[in-house]
Amino acid sequence: MLEVIDLAKRYGNVVALDGATFTARPGRIVGFLGPNGAGKTTTMRCIFGLATPDSGEVRWKGQPIDRRTRLRFGYMPEQRGLYPRMRVGEQLGYFGQQHGLSGKEAAAATRRWLERLGLADREKSKLEELSHGNQQRIQLATALTHDPELLVLDEPFSGLDPLGTATMTEVVREQAARGVGVVFSSHQLDLVEDVCEDVVIIARGRIVAAGPIDELKAASGRRHLDIEVAGADGEWIGRLPDVQVLEHSGNRMRLLVDDQVPLDELLTAARSAGELRQFSYEPPRLSELFMEAVAEPVAAPPAQPAAEPAEVVR
Amino acid sequence: MSRARSIWLVARRELFERGRSRGFIFSVLFTTTIIIGSFVVPVLIFGDEGPTTVGVVEPAPEQLESAIETTAGLLDQEMAVVKFPDRAAGDTALSDDKVAALVIVPADLSSPGELVFKETADPTVQGVVSSAIAGLRVNAALEAQGVDPQTFVAAQAPPTVQALEPPEAGSDTRFLIANIGAVLILVGVFSFGFTVLTGVVEEKQSRVMEVVLSTVLPRDLLMGKVLGIGILGLVQLAVFVVAAFIAASLTRELELPATTPGAAVQLVVWFILGYTLYSTALGVLGALASRMEEASNASTPVTIVAMLSYFVAIFSVISDPTGLVAVVATFIPFSAPMVVPMRAALGAITPIEIVVSAAITIVAIWVLFVVGGRVYAGAALQTAGRVKLRDAWRSAGQ
Repeated sequence: MLEVIDLAKRYGNVVALDGATFTARPGRIVGFLGPNGAGKTTTMRCIFGLATPDSGEVRWKGQPIDRRTRLRFGYMPEQRGLYPRMRVGEQLGYFGQQHGLSGKEAAAATRRWLERLGLADREKSKLEELSHGNQQRIQLATALTHDPELLVLDEPFSGLDPLGTATMTEVVREQAARGVGVVFSSHQLDLVEDVCEDVVIIARGRIVAAGPIDELKAASGRRHLDIEVAGADGEWIGRLPDVQVLEHSGNRMRLLVDDQVPLDELLTAARSAGELRQFSYEPPRLSELFMEAVAEPVAAPPAQPAAEPAEVVR
Repeated sequence: MSRARSIWLVARRELFERGRSRGFIFSVLFTTTIIIGSFVVPVLIFGDEGPTTVGVVEPAPEQLESAIETTAGLLDQEMAVVKFPDRAAGDTALSDDKVAALVIVPADLSSPGELVFKETADPTVQGVVSSAIAGLRVNAALEAQGVDPQTFVAAQAPPTVQALEPPEAGSDTRFLIANIGAVLILVGVFSFGFTVLTGVVEEKQSRVMEVVLSTVLPRDLLMGKVLGIGILGLVQLAVFVVAAFIAASLTRELELPATTPGAAVQLVVWFILGYTLYSTALGVLGALASRMEEASNASTPVTIVAMLSYFVAIFSVISDPTGLVAVVATFIPFSAPMVVPMRAALGAITPIEIVVSAAITIVAIWVLFVVGGRVYAGAALQTAGRVKLRDAWRSAGQ
């Protein structure tokens, strides 16, 4: 299990991380979400020793992470990059060996992954001769040749076409099924909702929400109600209390209600307004949870102790 | 996996990727061709340094052949004589460049005869042949007067030659080795050291650095790079030296001077130390730059130090190898690689000085790896603009 414990990191006056804490379990896919500049990349760099936190630590299986531990991780940084003039096969072999594989093992893993990604015929090509999408595939393979126990991918879906996205999703799922812990960051929330079991949402260097997506949804007090009533102009809804109209077009309406809403009353009201065609009551989508979680506090909560210094955050 | 293997993997990648690149192979072939050419071309243009052939038309005086060869020997020349039965055969040989000149002297030495050249007179040949004929004619005249030829030969003996301040044996060679050493080390620093510099910037520019550093420690990456490019540099130098020796021995220009083998060994050792020291410094500075254009700016301090050390070595040390400047420069890590082999070649350094100087330089290299590794770690992932040394040091802080 990967434990990120109370990480804090400043770059000059900029607070990158401000006590970030979360865990990633083997065999689970964790979506690591947050607005730009929230601290996702810095967190990942702390896991790989590429940034040294001012305080806090990262543990793997209960132990602090050292160089040897890291060799069992796979990393795909946000800033993609490999050796442009090095041949694809040798490149993968090199990184495999740097992760501790012998020359033979690395060569075998290279062939296996090139075949898996449909690039077996490009083994002798220089990386720069490959298309952008294929370079991305090679980048992914460098994180995988050594069969890592933990896979950390920074924005793996950015810049991928639908085919690339499908391959990436497949590989990520496959790895998790093998028992690998996967952490990946993304801004494509629908994709995350589709692929991940768990999410961690970071904003302004702090974790603002974390846990299985289903639990987060259940815990949210918000619900959506999609209603279609033929032959009604929707005026009836204005007579109901505690209902916020999110969208309204023609007969269709999307309402925001809280989870205590008296559904029976609503249903009765809808039926009496016209011919009811749709009535679905659902938890919020991940993207809505995300917007809610990362929203800047409008004003400092009054409960905050006055002694705590005001944090300069971006 | 051990760190040693990690360092070796980095070094091997540098070695193979650079060693078989077309640019590298082309530059090695090109330089080798130039080196071989510099030995072979003068021979092709100025001809083989064999003896100059002079034709003699029969009938000629019996002793003429030996007289010409002996006289040439006295003037430090080599001449061979070819005989022709008649003038026509001689002229043909002369116009075909078979001989440099044609000598026609009556067998009884009754006249000085003729010396014929194809186009213009070669003053050396003219001098040698004239003296030989004159000698023979004087001999004949004196013999006719009853003078003993032995007395005559004794009277012609040259004076003994001496020098008031003879140079020490092999001093030219020492001077040569001292200068070649300083130039080699300077060239090594500039070409291979800058390969390290550009290699580091390339890794930053192509953004591969982050993937590499997620498995390789920054110091190990720097060490591996310096090692790999260093091996490549030594191989390249070895190719050049072997090519030069082969070309020189084939054209018979090489007289291996009685060099001091110790000085040659020192040259190799200090080449390695100097390259390692300077290229490590350049590698660290390269990490501070994020684009190629900034790299040369970033490297300026090292370039200045290298040039200063070189000038101290070739101006100050060579004129006074045991003076204050030479001794101080011996114990400064950046000047030691140029100054110590020079003093050693001139035979003006004690073994203790060499050992202490080498130890100081090795310590300096280690400090650079440690300090440099940290700066490298702090700067390697900052890809926007030039990173300040101090910021890089801090951001990699524990």
